[in-house]
Amino acid sequence: MKSSVNSPFNRRLKRAREQWRRKAQADLSIAVGMGTCGLAAGAEEALNAIQTELDKRHLTAAIGRVGCVGMCAYEPMIDLQAKGRPRFSYGQATAENVSDIFSAYLDGEQLQRAVLVGQVVPASMKSNGSCLSSLSFVDPASQENIAFHQKQRRIVLSNCGLIDPESIDDYLAVEGYQALVKALTGMTPESVIEEVTRSGLRGRGGGGFPAGLKWSLARKTQRWPKYVICNADEGDPGAFMDRSVLEGDPHSVVEGMTIAAYAIGASHGIIYCRAEYPLAIRRLEIALEQARELGLLGEDILGSGFSFDLSVKEGAGAFVCGEETALMASIQGERGQPWPRPPYPAVAGLWGQPSNVNNVKSYAYTPRVIRLGADWFKSLGTEGSPGTAVFALTGMVNRTGLVEVPMGITLGGIIYEVGGGIAGGRKFKAVQTGGPLGGCLPESYLDTPVDFDSLRAAGATMGSGGMIVADETTCMVEFAKYFMQFVCDESCGKCPPCRIGSTRMLEILERITSGKGEPSDVDRIRHLATGMQRGSLCALGQLAPSPILSALRHFEEEFWAHIKEGRCPAAGCRMLVRASCVSACPAGVDAPAYLALVAQGRYAEALAVHREANPFPMICGRVCPAFCERRCRRGQIDEPVSIRQVKRFMADRYYSEPWTPPKLARAKGIKVAIIGAGPCGLTAALRLAQRGYSVTVFERMPLPGGMMTYGIPAYRLPREPLFAEIDHIRRAGVEIRCEQELGTDFTIKSLKNDGYRAIILALGAHRSRKLGAQGEDKNGVYHGVQMLRDIALGRLPDLKGKIVVVVGGGDTAMDAARSSWRLGAEEVHLVYRRERHEMPANAEEIEAAMEEGVEFHFLVTPVVVLGHDRVSGVRLQRQQLGEFDASGRRRPVPIPGSEFDMPCDLLVPAIGQVTWIDDEAFSFNRKATFDVGKAFETQVEGVFAAGDSVLGPGTVVQSVAHGNQVALTVDAWLTTGQLGGVHYQPKRHDVAQLFNLDEYAGARRPKAGTISPEERRRRGDFAEAEQVLEERAAQEECKRCLRCDLEWLERIGEPLP
Amino acid sequence: MDKKTTMPINLTINGKPVSAPEGSTILEAARGAGIRIPTLCHHPDLTNVGACRLCVVTVEKARGLQTACTTPAAGGMVVNTESQEARETRRFVLEMLLSDHPNECMVCETNGDCELQDLAYEYEVPWPAAGATHHKYEVDTDPNPFVAIDRNKCIVCGRCVRACDEIQNREVWNFANRGFKTRLVAGADQPMLEARCESCGQCVAYCPVGALYDKMSVGVARANKVEKVRTVCSYCGVGCSFDLNVRDDRVVRVTSTAKAPVNGMALCVKGRYGYDYVHHTDRLTKPLVRRDLLSSSTSDERRSGRSSDLVEVDWDTALNLVARKLTDIKSSHGGDAIAFFASAKCTNEENYLFNKFTRQVLGTNNIDHCARL
Repeated sequence: MKSSVNSPFNRRLKRAREQWRRKAQADLSIAVGMGTCGLAAGAEEALNAIQTELDKRHLTAAIGRVGCVGMCAYEPMIDLQAKGRPRFSYGQATAENVSDIFSAYLDGEQLQRAVLVGQVVPASMKSNGSCLSSLSFVDPASQENIAFHQKQRRIVLSNCGLIDPESIDDYLAVEGYQALVKALTGMTPESVIEEVTRSGLRGRGGGGFPAGLKWSLARKTQRWPKYVICNADEGDPGAFMDRSVLEGDPHSVVEGMTIAAYAIGASHGIIYCRAEYPLAIRRLEIALEQARELGLLGEDILGSGFSFDLSVKEGAGAFVCGEETALMASIQGERGQPWPRPPYPAVAGLWGQPSNVNNVKSYAYTPRVIRLGADWFKSLGTEGSPGTAVFALTGMVNRTGLVEVPMGITLGGIIYEVGGGIAGGRKFKAVQTGGPLGGCLPESYLDTPVDFDSLRAAGATMGSGGMIVADETTCMVEFAKYFMQFVCDESCGKCPPCRIGSTRMLEILERITSGKGEPSDVDRIRHLATGMQRGSLCALGQLAPSPILSALRHFEEEFWAHIKEGRCPAAGCRMLVRASCVSACPAGVDAPAYLALVAQGRYAEALAVHREANPFPMICGRVCPAFCERRCRRGQIDEPVSIRQVKRFMADRYYSEPWTPPKLARAKGIKVAIIGAGPCGLTAALRLAQRGYSVTVFERMPLPGGMMTYGIPAYRLPREPLFAEIDHIRRAGVEIRCEQELGTDFTIKSLKNDGYRAIILALGAHRSRKLGAQGEDKNGVYHGVQMLRDIALGRLPDLKGKIVVVVGGGDTAMDAARSSWRLGAEEVHLVYRRERHEMPANAEEIEAAMEEGVEFHFLVTPVVVLGHDRVSGVRLQRQQLGEFDASGRRRPVPIPGSEFDMPCDLLVPAIGQVTWIDDEAFSFNRKATFDVGKAFETQVEGVFAAGDSVLGPGTVVQSVAHGNQVALTVDAWLTTGQLGGVHYQPKRHDVAQLFNLDEYAGARRPKAGTISPEERRRRGDFAEAEQVLEERAAQEECKRCLRCDLEWLERIGEPLP
Repeated sequence: MDKKTTMPINLTINGKPVSAPEGSTILEAARGAGIRIPTLCHHPDLTNVGACRLCVVTVEKARGLQTACTTPAAGGMVVNTESQEARETRRFVLEMLLSDHPNECMVCETNGDCELQDLAYEYEVPWPAAGATHHKYEVDTDPNPFVAIDRNKCIVCGRCVRACDEIQNREVWNFANRGFKTRLVAGADQPMLEARCESCGQCVAYCPVGALYDKMSVGVARANKVEKVRTVCSYCGVGCSFDLNVRDDRVVRVTSTAKAPVNGMALCVKGRYGYDYVHHTDRLTKPLVRRDLLSSSTSDERRSGRSSDLVEVDWDTALNLVARKLTDIKSSHGGDAIAFFASAKCTNEENYLFNKFTRQVLGTNNIDHCARL
């Protein structure tokens, strides 16, 4: 082997570097992202517009056509750099926006439509002097990395977006082919393998097999010719990592394959690329031609005596051809079906000859490993999985795109920090890694490090790099079904377990998602899964059940809700979900029906529809967090229909009109006692009274209503409508006895003696949780629940001129803070241990509190209550967010030494409430709520529990839902003796659509009037802040409803009303 | 190659020490030792593909089940063919196959001679509950006069495909589509005869189920109703042997047998399907001679012109007559006055004797053969 590189190559190298330098110093240089993604978004047109713009401005520029930088939402993207100025990257750079961008960059004008993505900092120098070119994006003002890039470490994607993939000179200028030179001139094949082995590089196709070991096996087989094969048959749904490398940096793959060929002794290589990637194929062909021209492929490469050439084979797009044996069968012109191993490809692969198959990225890492060394590579990632991982991050995250992160980053890190969390403020539900052969992981796994072994141990796989994020609106059965459908389409058909098993599995999932599942189906799925895993020939069939099994493992309840109740809890199954708003409402109130009726002015009927499922429209019209609106489909277009406001409007129309709930059954002469006159107890009482029971409600406070009366301040829920609606319940024949306390005035036993056949405990959650801070029993520690109760009882605390510190982030904390402000407190502070977006309180409440001047302090927690016998202040400790906890939120971790004191006169803890009963016959769970069975039964026969005392502190509508359900199961138990087996299903109302919906395409959600904060403060009373909608506004608002319910009728084949 | 010179492999199967020639698969080693492993896609004549998954066995230290038909036996290997996992998997595969198989063994040609049926019985696989999607292909749509196809019964084992490729070298069959929609097609989904088929029926012979069957035997030739009579084919001199399937003294089907020393399972269209002449009314079953050559012919008969009619005689009479006439001709005109024409339907031995007889006994070289044309 010659010791030096031949001169034509060196001359070309010198020229390429010179050109690169010149380009960087051009008066104006422009880079246009022209991957498939950019082209699809209009990069070609943008390029033309750039030319026009340059002509108009009489400018010339060095224009680079580069690959994709992975920020899908911003395509097409262009970078501008004028001499001596920073390089800026702009997104949404369509042809129309180009001149806008030029004006912004060159003339300093305001951007109109395009987006400034960030300042681009290319080409960083490594400490060892070698250049590891890459792009990083920083905020032009702060010079900090933009969020999407903060946690990224781009190795294999480093050239994508930086160089022109069709120019070998660009590649040479960024140290391209230097690794090949190093290998051919200074290393033996064995030492190349040794270096790769030592680097710990594992195959990036999904299996994670050590690349060095694979190469050494192929080297050992003493038969020629040998082949190196690149698996570019990327086929996971939503995954496009390999495409991006092939389109953005094809030479890195060519160089890597040539090094691999040298190492194993192969003379020919084949890149098997799917025909759906025409641009990748074209750029590969160009790269091969350029490499041949420079003598980097062909006979006697760089005078080393080593000969090697490459060709591209187009695949027809079968997913199974990503399996190496099927891939080789396909190259041989056979049906793309796998064959059993052994023999392994290293022994007998393509045409029966020793072959080495690796993924695109595995080859693309190779030149970097050889050039920068195994130690450099090992310094990235984890010990077992060195280097980086490339993911196509898709689904319900804010920032989708192609990301490259160091191995070992947590799933939560990718989703929340790179991906920016869940879109639309919704809740994270699961993340699927490994595509259709991977698995899904719920929020309790967000702490899982992303590497081959940790993911496998958690029950998912790395796969080739798809990462799909599901939020709370995703039905996991439907999610699993999607992947099984994919497997059914892509099963090659060779072996029966996969060919038939996948179809049988899909049939079951289809049955379940259309509400026709059978109780045996869950076992049947497991049976099929085991058979497929054990019996299938290749990984496709063996791993195909993984998504379903992982969904079953983490979300089994969701399967049962479909099977037993015909209900899709996530409201994702099209056949089961009439309208998302109805599914989202805990009480299942038929919102589309009453909206349609209000639109027609039929208010009384609308109200009747509401009361069937929820007897408190006036109350909920004021205080409901409106779960329905969060799921409203109109919200995906502009803003959700203002369902709560309409509810309040229609209920307030009949403000003073007494309602007598209809009797649904004849009097049974059976007595039922309900303890607690909150929303749950009252609803249960109403439903049982309607069914003919004699119901007595026992309430320990002087007034009924529970937390509605004693927990929600009057400025949110005025007393008049509250008591009016409680009177409706009385009118159904329910007797409410106030100031009757369990254990004092009566006992469970005495009730039974008095002939009550069933007893429902709806005690609520009134006991405030303790802070766990030192000295919290001091005078001046005034729990939020107590404060609100005192206010409701008219015992207004005098807060004039006082400093109040409220602790907590829930609704009680907001109510306590806003009430303190109304009572004239000098300063109201609210401290919360997490961040704002993690507060469980209603967003509108938080906003109103801020508006009213409550001062918020995030990431702090009280540790010591200061003062002698009275509170004089509170010592707070700053927190930082650590790992993810089981709720999918990041756990606050104290920062030692960060304590500081905040003076105050009153400390108001409001960090949660628990239920409490002085009776050892009942058992409680970890959340300190009643441990009840599926029929709400407690450990004492005939005694049931529901509402907040089971759920923990919740909302009115959740308690109403519980009231409906517990009444149903108590009725069933009293009539049949059976516990459970009944499911509350509110009646469906089909109301006609009488106007043209298209006319309301542009209509906007109205804003209800409010009293200004100054006015509220000045008045100091607890008058209602929010105003009711005008009649016309309410009617018009109803017409924004998209009537999902009618679409569903069509879907299930029933006639429209 | 002399097998005795290769090193035998010693392994353990089901706790029993087994020795097998080098290059054997686990299946071959097991069968050599009298241990049965069920198969469907495997056939000793054909390449192993590991598709049907019935021959899965447990191999110690190997990850997951291995297919016995493709895994090479290795020294020291410990194999269990009847592990719970292997048996459960086989049962699962059979359950899957039955879930897409018509429940019509009652009217199936292959009933009683069906490998799927035997295995379903052995593994006690219940008939699956209704409700699963079944293929509903039209049956017997190919105009081929001999081979009928019922894709509903096809288990996609690919034996027909390999038999056609590897034995007959015609490459008529292959599979179209993927997954559950995988479907056996001739050529580019053409009629068989347009896809180079020469109707040899190898595909039928290798089909383990009733997906490919003999059209001429429909309704008459179920395995338990016929008697098999081994015979040599009378069409040509190759000497293929096969079994005549006889029912009520009639040949209703021809089946090939792996035991045939010359041809194995292979037959040509004539041997497999050309048996209808056996019971043809035109077929000669006794020697016939012209009446006037018999000494008993009367002058009346000669006058009436009936003297040239053919008369049934016994073999001695007929052969004596031929011998007498040949002797007469040779003595009066010499051997070259006679010419002999041999038949390709005779065996090589018969033709050899015929040649000797012509040249040595009758002393002439006037001999030819129909196959020389």
